[in-house]
Amino acid sequence: MITSTTPPAADPESALRPRRYGIAFAVAALVVLALIASSILNYVYLDTIPGRASLYGLLAVASITLGTYILVRAFDRDPATRRNHLIRAGVLIGLGVLLWLLVIDVFLYTQSAGPGVAAVCALACLPTTAFGLLVVRRMDRNHKEPWRLVLVAAAWGAIVATSLVVWAETVWEVSAQRALVPGPGLDTSLAFMAGTLEELAKGLAVVLLFLVMRSEFDDVVDGIVYGAAVGMGFNFMESVSYMTNLYSIFAPEHQGGIAAGVQWYNRQVLGLFFGHATYTAYIGAGVGIARQLPTLRQKILAIVAGFMVAIAGHFSWDAWVNLFPIPNTLFGIVAIHLRTLVMTGPFTAGLIALLIFGIRYEGQNLVDQMRKEAATGAGAILPQEVPVLASPWRRLRQRTQAFQRVGLRGYFDVSRLQTAQLDLAMERWHRERKEIDTPLEAEQRLRERVIQLRHWVRAS
Amino acid sequence: MSATTYDQLHTLYRTLLVFATVGAIILSVGLVQFVYFERPGEETGVKARIVGVYEYNLATMKTTGPDRSEFPRSDVFAAVVDWSSVPSQLVVDARWYDTFGSMRGEVGPGHATDLSGQSVVPVEVPPDLHFVLPGRYTFVVERLDATGVPVEVLARRFVLVDRS
Repeated sequence: MITSTTPPAADPESALRPRRYGIAFAVAALVVLALIASSILNYVYLDTIPGRASLYGLLAVASITLGTYILVRAFDRDPATRRNHLIRAGVLIGLGVLLWLLVIDVFLYTQSAGPGVAAVCALACLPTTAFGLLVVRRMDRNHKEPWRLVLVAAAWGAIVATSLVVWAETVWEVSAQRALVPGPGLDTSLAFMAGTLEELAKGLAVVLLFLVMRSEFDDVVDGIVYGAAVGMGFNFMESVSYMTNLYSIFAPEHQGGIAAGVQWYNRQVLGLFFGHATYTAYIGAGVGIARQLPTLRQKILAIVAGFMVAIAGHFSWDAWVNLFPIPNTLFGIVAIHLRTLVMTGPFTAGLIALLIFGIRYEGQNLVDQMRKEAATGAGAILPQEVPVLASPWRRLRQRTQAFQRVGLRGYFDVSRLQTAQLDLAMERWHRERKEIDTPLEAEQRLRERVIQLRHWVRAS
Repeated sequence: MSATTYDQLHTLYRTLLVFATVGAIILSVGLVQFVYFERPGEETGVKARIVGVYEYNLATMKTTGPDRSEFPRSDVFAAVVDWSSVPSQLVVDARWYDTFGSMRGEVGPGHATDLSGQSVVPVEVPPDLHFVLPGRYTFVVERLDATGVPVEVLARRFVLVDRS
């Protein structure tokens, strides 16, 4: 007689998994509906080239949204079917990117500086944004996020979030300009607009990642990494847009290059970590903390708190930046830096505090789990390996020694072994806290993988 | 890394809640600021009349051509206000704002009767530039309160300045 049993889950009573996919689907559907509604409104009421571009751009946004969803889910699938899902995702994202570039090209060509200048601006922003993403990913010293998810987060920030806000902000801005007294009142309204709409649009990407890719969203540190990545993607697209716009405005005065250069410095150097990255990282921090909290009330409160800080930080910059006028003298260069430090610095400092505390909290618990795993004698983590795994520098030294002995292959073999051991410790931590709904067999598979990798390392 | 014996998650949670409280205070200050400049109950129902927006000759300081809503950036333009449409006891002004929200030309403030000789309000070319900035310009005739804060728009007109 054949009997089948359901593998035991860490939290057998958890019914969150199917529910959270339902929530993710509902959020995605709302995003698409909002895109359709706002673009039609733009087209009907504004009838400008951006309005038309937004309507034509819908298909591109929908393709990228669906493509990224399939992409992140593909890695949860059986390896046999994963390839098909990856191909589907690749085709959809490729189609979306091409369509989007076409829309942007048309938009820029007719409205701004032209595709050549836009390409130069984009190329200028690429190295700085890539550097920012590299730093942000490396902040997670204990358990780095996969590049594919960090890049998906940045792509969402750059393409989906910017598309959402372009339409919503146009409607808000036009309505406010028709109804309010120009001056501080209107400026405050527009600051509320930017803070609320932009952070909601960026935060949606973080929330969707949390709902769909729970296995790669471990805690507050991961949330900060994903949030900052979304913010950097958004900052990239906004930088290109502002640089091309200002270039076209000041080019007839022969000051186009200077205007675009100043904008690049402000957004890609000064504001790379201080602006959008900081704000959206708070949303990620809220979602990451919610990931580990026990009750639904606390989870919701943590997520709302993250959004609140992000919106407030963004609002304060937009509303009060003019309180710090930049003098047209040499001191102006100092003043620009001081302004960023004074206005966004406290928010970034608060975030760094959360990050340091989160890394410490994560690290202590991983060590605890590594010791417990070593004590089982299963052989996945040996007692003498715990101090090495606990220190990023000692891990690096171990990889470097493998490189010196065997070359690049040895380096990567040891790297894979260390990653698998940390994955196992993380899985154990979540299971102990009843934060995962994957079966116990998943943990055993991780353990077997570590042992298998250890054989490879020994063989090499 | 070192071993842990207590759950520090609640410290992180409470820290975030403290930050959120600060955020709520910041947004409340913003709301107060908005209400101060957009005061409810300030509607008088008065409407000022903007005669039109015309090309402006800087040399003769006179308007020419028909009423338009779009100009090339090489043109300077001016709005013409019929101050007689505004009750004389009101303190008013007229202003141009460029696409970045910066003021680019102003007449007033003063009582409408005092401004009757300044019905033409030209837009100003920014210092160090040769042309007006392109984009959407807003022209408003505003009513000011006793402290000089604009509290009501009596008339509004939008003008588009082309990039080329």
